[in-house]
Amino acid sequence: MSEGFPAAAAGSELVEQLRATLERAGELLRILEGNLQQASAASGAGDAAGGENDLEHRLATAESDVRELAARLVESEHQVGRLMNLYVAAYQLHASLEPDAVQAAIAEIAINLLGAERFVLLLRRDAEEGCEVALEAGMQGERSGLWAGGGYGGGDPMVDATLRDGVLRLGPAPGSDALAAVPLRVQGAVVGAIVVLKLLDHKPLLRPEDRDLLDLLSVHAASALFAARLFAAQDRKLRTLESLVKLARGE
Amino acid sequence: MQPRKVLVVDDSKLMHKMYEVMLRQYPLVYAVDGREALERLREHPDVELILLDVNMPNMNGLELLAGLRAEGNRTAVVIISTEGLEEDAARGLAAGADAYVAKPFSGGEILDVIARLPQPAAERAAPAAGEAAG
Repeated sequence: MSEGFPAAAAGSELVEQLRATLERAGELLRILEGNLQQASAASGAGDAAGGENDLEHRLATAESDVRELAARLVESEHQVGRLMNLYVAAYQLHASLEPDAVQAAIAEIAINLLGAERFVLLLRRDAEEGCEVALEAGMQGERSGLWAGGGYGGGDPMVDATLRDGVLRLGPAPGSDALAAVPLRVQGAVVGAIVVLKLLDHKPLLRPEDRDLLDLLSVHAASALFAARLFAAQDRKLRTLESLVKLARGE
Repeated sequence: MQPRKVLVVDDSKLMHKMYEVMLRQYPLVYAVDGREALERLREHPDVELILLDVNMPNMNGLELLAGLRAEGNRTAVVIISTEGLEEDAARGLAAGADAYVAKPFSGGEILDVIARLPQPAAERAAPAAGEAAG
């Protein structure tokens, strides 16, 4: 696995190293505390005061090191988790060339990694204005009516702005129900958007690391969908041509 | 707990991949619903931990768990679900789960939950080789 996921593997090793260092620092701290107690017990005279001060200073330094290492351990674990999410999301988005499978991957990322309860995937229509709602989840309680009927014709200012300029936006924004409007970009063109309308109840807010996942979705979801749709269209053409050839041959 | 083998029961391929990355230290087997999980348990009797999604087609996680416990199967089960409400956790625990984790979760969280689970009773009861010889 580490060959396929070098960044996360390196992160895991770093976490292990930090954990080991932290444990060693804890041991040193205990030894220092023991020494300090011994020195305190043995000293009763002024000449021991200098040694005691030195030990106290070393103890304070060791405690400070432990705190710093603990903070670095937490940060490293956080980074490893973030990298894992990004790796798995990218892997799954490009694991198939079937449009339905790619859409399912987008939904799974939104639900399982982002914690979205209500969201829609919008794709620009080729010949008409507006977007089709290619995918939706948890929309039973949605009352704005903007996403009804399998299409979106505009009306949410944050989503409209994202579809117009291709900039990822996070809510809340005046007049908008969206928590996030993620543009889907392929070769500079905005081909749609993922709109997150509600998170799971136990996840009240989008976290800073969710921004990375939304950025990844913005580029990879679009290219994966685009490639899958292109492949499906070419595959259909190929099958049609093969059928025609067979017909011409009288097979 | 250090399970010898872990059964992941989840209809999401994304979650299968996520577990593969998060739980590299454990051998994993996979099922996409409760029915397939029963087959995997027959094929792999050394499974010591089940990571069980609740919402699945055919046979959901709670149905599978209730069936296992009714048969006397005491394999450790961690319920994994997007339903983070307390009553859903309570339902899972009442059905015989050993722990509950709400999605989305981090690798550290799931590893902590697994580490806190008690070792299977058979292994706890088994004497060490040295003790048996002595």
